[in-house]
Amino acid sequence: MNRIFKLFTVATLTGLVFGGCYPGGADYTSDYDAVYTDFNDTFNFKAFNTYAMPDQIVVDIEITNDGDTIPEYMKSIYSDPILAQIAENMANYGWTRVDISDNPDLLLSPAGQSSTTYYYSYWYDWWYGGYYPGWGWYYPPYYTVSSYTTGSLIMTIADPNLDSPINRSPMEWVGVVNGVLTNSANITRALNGIDQAYTQSPYLKIN
Amino acid sequence: MKKILYISALMFVFSATQIAAQTNTSLTYSMGFGMGDLGDFISKASFRGATLDFRKMAQPNVGVGFSLGWNTFYEAKDYATYTVETQSLSGKQYRYSNHIPMLISFDYYLKPGEKVSPFFGLGTGVMYTRRNTDMNLYTFQQEAWNFSLQPQIGVQFNNSITSATTIMLKYYYGLKAGDLDEPQSYLSLNVGFVFRQP
Repeated sequence: MNRIFKLFTVATLTGLVFGGCYPGGADYTSDYDAVYTDFNDTFNFKAFNTYAMPDQIVVDIEITNDGDTIPEYMKSIYSDPILAQIAENMANYGWTRVDISDNPDLLLSPAGQSSTTYYYSYWYDWWYGGYYPGWGWYYPPYYTVSSYTTGSLIMTIADPNLDSPINRSPMEWVGVVNGVLTNSANITRALNGIDQAYTQSPYLKIN
Repeated sequence: MKKILYISALMFVFSATQIAAQTNTSLTYSMGFGMGDLGDFISKASFRGATLDFRKMAQPNVGVGFSLGWNTFYEAKDYATYTVETQSLSGKQYRYSNHIPMLISFDYYLKPGEKVSPFFGLGTGVMYTRRNTDMNLYTFQQEAWNFSLQPQIGVQFNNSITSATTIMLKYYYGLKAGDLDEPQSYLSLNVGFVFRQP
């Protein structure tokens, strides 16, 4: 009897402590939202004041058998408010948006990412080839690319006048709003994330 | 360090060669309170833990054996921005710290056989520590095998010759090791049952 009591006590305690109450984690999808930014700390943003930005956001590209690329754009009901939010934050920090033909100091590229496994540099080569002919840029090796998840909004700033042996300008700033572009039509999380990206990048402020 | 190893080795030999009649096994629920670096990482107390203490009575008032424990600390942090050099990351963090101490221990009982039996003791051995910082869909994991010391005080309330209830206060101190840059320490308050083999 004593032995059964002991076994019972041990089993109950073990079950209670180990099985029933391992700590949880996030409760809501929005609990996973994260905003990542990085910049080149030797680059003087204050030496510039104009930038150009496309009026569409690419979310995917299709590569045909003969090597052509067909872009897929975010619908304008979503991309317009996202681009407006970026423009508003840039304006608040003192930047003037100009057309690509007006010789901008810097280029800002927003992109939505529909797949985690995309090959980024290919994508951006195309992107710059399409929107900013003759220009290209690359991720310097110290930027983390691998942690962008599906549904991320990626914003980059590069100086097109910086030359390099590989004909590409290094990226000077990146802002990633991770995982907020989902199947839901609500883009409030993306807009909040854009604000957060600028809040945590005070070095972009030139005014 | 060397001294402690000698003492541990002696304890082992001592516990192996002494064939005393009685054993003292306690199973306790353990509440943890992080201190130092662990307390900075997770400020909330842990209510998830258990400890198994086994002692062979070398003398009526001296028990030698082992202690095996587990404590999980957890805290969900508010939305915040974390900056390392040029990189900043904002989001909610979920922090976990698991500790599994495996120690050789001895206890000295001040009033063995009496209804209320206070005791004190010391354990030494290793503590496995696994710290996880979850953010977005990723987890940052750090592991360490800390060489540890664990003094303790407690009281046993004897119900019969074969059983007792107990309350203990243990202090775990794991020296700096592995992926963690600081020692890991916490206090634990344990309550539970004692089973004896007369």
